[in-house]
Amino acid sequence: MDIQIVGLSHRFGDKVIFQDFSLCLREGGLYGLTAPSGRGKTTLLRILLGLQKPDSAEISGGLRYSAVFQRDCLLPGQTPVEQLLYVRGGKRNRRECREFLAELLPGDSLEQPVEELSGGMQRRTAIARALWAESDCVLMDEPFIGLDPETLRHTMDFILAHRRSRTLLLSTHQKELLQDYGLEWITI
Amino acid sequence: MKPAKSTKPLYRGLLVALFWIGVWQAASMLVGKPVLFASPLDTLKALLALVPRGDYWLAVAGSLGRIALGFGLALLLGLLTGVAAYRSSLMKTLLSPLLTLMKTVPVASFIILVLVWFGSKQLAVIVALLVVFPQIYFSTLSGLSSRDSELLELSRVFRVPARRVAWQVYRPALMPYLKGACASALGMSWKAGIAAEVIGTPLHSIGEQMYLSKVYMATAELFAWTLTVILLSLLFEKAVLWLMGRVG
Repeated sequence: MDIQIVGLSHRFGDKVIFQDFSLCLREGGLYGLTAPSGRGKTTLLRILLGLQKPDSAEISGGLRYSAVFQRDCLLPGQTPVEQLLYVRGGKRNRRECREFLAELLPGDSLEQPVEELSGGMQRRTAIARALWAESDCVLMDEPFIGLDPETLRHTMDFILAHRRSRTLLLSTHQKELLQDYGLEWITI
Repeated sequence: MKPAKSTKPLYRGLLVALFWIGVWQAASMLVGKPVLFASPLDTLKALLALVPRGDYWLAVAGSLGRIALGFGLALLLGLLTGVAAYRSSLMKTLLSPLLTLMKTVPVASFIILVLVWFGSKQLAVIVALLVVFPQIYFSTLSGLSSRDSELLELSRVFRVPARRVAWQVYRPALMPYLKGACASALGMSWKAGIAAEVIGTPLHSIGEQMYLSKVYMATAELFAWTLTVILLSLLFEKAVLWLMGRVG
């Protein structure tokens, strides 16, 4: 199902963030979202996720989302494996989950509390969680923050390998590093 | 020779204990009247005389049972109402005057009212409950409110089952508050419970025994009972906090 946003208007205080903004994300599409900071990338993603109510808009509903948030939002004291099992759980999934994460993180970090991991590893845990969860559409808010260019490419390959046919929208200010991935760019 | 590092706290603890027992001994010698102020040795003798007696253990079991029951009920009710108040602001507003009343009414007034209404038999249960309940309620409310709201947003987006959210997001937020409240409420439940028993003198209770010590001017016995209460209260606290540590 496509995602349709029609006539989105939203202001923050007296600052107009969106004025009659419209957007269509085709089912299975791969999108990059860029904008100067403070122009509402995070707001747009939060509105799509239903976490923030716009002043006015028509948004097609009924889709199941998973996401990478602005902050990593990891469960304190839990391991990367547990972060993933939290959103799609069951003991029987643990092995599959470990194999999935091992593609993105060093093997010895999988059963360590996330506080002991580097910032980049925590970010990648959040990315893996969004892809591991069941969803129709994956939204990522600046997923590559804190990742060096090489890790960024490795992570992007992981994302593409595991998005299956889901619609994917990621916001970034590093457009130049993502030129070879065939993203359709949306600029606010 | 210096003691090894790991034994130092124990070593120091023993010295501190000896120091204060010495102060106690000195004070009793200064007063010079065992009827008014029993010495450590008199107290130990009185305790050793009490321990083999059946009614000592009946009183210990009676008081421990009633205070533990009151504490357990308060924990249960405090958690339930705390969760309800967290979820509904109407509930919170509705409960607010009741909680303020419970926090401010002197324990002695409660004791007398409960005596008049229910008699002395379950007095300590109800008094312990009344003293502990507000602390559990408020700590539950603060603990739940301290949860990470972004983790809740995430759980909503990912449609994580409510049970899992409760266990993984709410429980870790709640437990430090609850443990803190329990640590202080445990001591208070004993103080208030025993005070209630001294006033109500129910059969088979430490309070009754203390009251009798007073009637017979048996100060050493009173001290021995006090020592018993201190030990029971410490053991009870350790047991409850250990159990809570198992939960998280």
